[in-house]
Amino acid sequence: MQNTSTVQEWSRMGARGPRQRAVRDRLLRYIGSLLRYAILIFFTLVCITPLFWVIASSLKTTGQIAANPLGFPTEIRWDNYIEAWTVGRFGKYFKNSVIVSIPIVTFVILLASLAGYGLARLRFHGSNFVFVLFLLGLMVPFQSIMIPLFYILKDIRFLGTYWAMIVPSIALGMPFSIFFMRAYFSGLPQELGDAAEIDGCNEFSVYWRVMLPLAGPAVSALVVLQFMGAWNAFLLPLIYMQKEEIRPLVLGLMFFRSRYTQNYPLTMAGAAIVMVPIVIVYLVFQRRFVQGLTAGAVK
Amino acid sequence: MTTAAPVRWGQLSPRAKRKALAGWAFVVPALLIYAFFFIQPFFYSIYYSLTDWNGADPVKQFVGLGNYIKLAGDSLLWQALGHNLIWVIIGTVSPIAIGLLLGVLIWTGALGRVLFRTIYFLPVVLSEVVIAIIWNWIYHPLFGAVNQILRGIGLDHLARGWLGDPQTALLALLMTAIWSYYGFCFVIIMAGLQNVDISLVEAATIDGANGWQRFIHVIVPQLSHVLTMITAFTLIGGFNVFGIVFVMTQGGPGTATQVIATYTYRKAFQESQVGYGAALSMVMTLLSLVTSYIFIRLRERQEQ
Repeated sequence: MQNTSTVQEWSRMGARGPRQRAVRDRLLRYIGSLLRYAILIFFTLVCITPLFWVIASSLKTTGQIAANPLGFPTEIRWDNYIEAWTVGRFGKYFKNSVIVSIPIVTFVILLASLAGYGLARLRFHGSNFVFVLFLLGLMVPFQSIMIPLFYILKDIRFLGTYWAMIVPSIALGMPFSIFFMRAYFSGLPQELGDAAEIDGCNEFSVYWRVMLPLAGPAVSALVVLQFMGAWNAFLLPLIYMQKEEIRPLVLGLMFFRSRYTQNYPLTMAGAAIVMVPIVIVYLVFQRRFVQGLTAGAVK
Repeated sequence: MTTAAPVRWGQLSPRAKRKALAGWAFVVPALLIYAFFFIQPFFYSIYYSLTDWNGADPVKQFVGLGNYIKLAGDSLLWQALGHNLIWVIIGTVSPIAIGLLLGVLIWTGALGRVLFRTIYFLPVVLSEVVIAIIWNWIYHPLFGAVNQILRGIGLDHLARGWLGDPQTALLALLMTAIWSYYGFCFVIIMAGLQNVDISLVEAATIDGANGWQRFIHVIVPQLSHVLTMITAFTLIGGFNVFGIVFVMTQGGPGTATQVIATYTYRKAFQESQVGYGAALSMVMTLLSLVTSYIFIRLRERQEQ
């Protein structure tokens, strides 16, 4: 902030000649960009520092946490991870998360791309109505259906099994995914499908052999978004997946935290186990994430 | 709607008939699962909200609008709604303002925009439970960063248990929510800025508009589409907020951070007042639908 006083001095001196003015402008621009990067870097630190604390704390002993809660660990203790993975059963929860995420993502993509294609490319009686019905799902939060869904899942004996998370998540994924796929298929050139039809393809093979491969970018954006949704889902498993053996990671972490309230390194190791996979997926596929999220927002 | 339905089945060509049947075949699998696990429970929610039921009895006693009348006099509900109101106001304005600031700073010429974008978006991909654990740690009375920093700069008297103090708990939760969300606003705003005509900004500069004037009169109007979208999205998120509150404070201390979603969860799943819980969930539904409706109308007007 010392720079501001220099600015004031310079402006008080006034621009006496063209040379001084040029120098003053350059200085102002320099200070401007200094300020710009100061703000950008400040928010960078705001984003990253808390994540650093998770990793750093997860590698400390309880004693180290008390002595030095915010700094680097003085000696690295991987045992927290091993303990969380085995004693804390994070290995089990990790497997549960994978078991539910894969079918959710697969079926959301499959059903939504089929429906999106049908709504975009094949005119039929009632297609507008069907589309509006799916759109309404974008406006209704999960909270609106969570209570009766519990009793429906209980009646069909899904509660306490992986199905209690898989099937409702597929249904909940439909509105956005269909909206997304429909928009993408509508944007593809009509002639491509027609040409394939003349070559003797039926509707399904036009979709499967021609259009779906062309929708690759949309599909991969949807895959990462749906995976993130399934991996991070919280309220849904909280209600339908309480049984210990089938808990996904996020829920396992929540119960683990309340059991080991005082053991911060262990809790942080658990948090890191939940956090790291999704961060890696994000870093690898970040362009897809951004595309997926911004596609609907920007026309 | 590009898929205008043709006039009559009988008048269709065989090709159009085949297409129409195929269209249904494509949509039906998604529709079935959606109807059974989304539309059906939605109507059941309305029905439950008109009953008095504890979740176990074979009979759901129909009480008409009884639950809704009870809602009107439920001071805990009004308190929770008040918290939601604070939440949507602060929790909408701040992340959008931060997102705009960062977006414009980068858009008007900063190096490393991909790097900044990658980092700002990072918290958005984290689970609410992880976010809650991180911030419980930051607010920790003894070891937490907030109090450590305050003590470090000699402001010991300000240090406190941020989540345990009813005065600060809600704001502390909001800070957490803003932290986890401004990167999302930033990314959407950045995408919107790609469509802003930079020559208009340059023209305004030549006409003598200062930075703030250019921002308010040239950039923001061109972003109005994107800004209404995020506002609607954030408002709906704020009315339904659950995870962060539930994990960090469970609505406490006392009821200092109870929001409507945590209150609904408590009634329906912890106190077995299923009918009343369903009525509460209808309040959330209504708030979301009204917000969506206003958003759609605004969008239509912008498009004209």
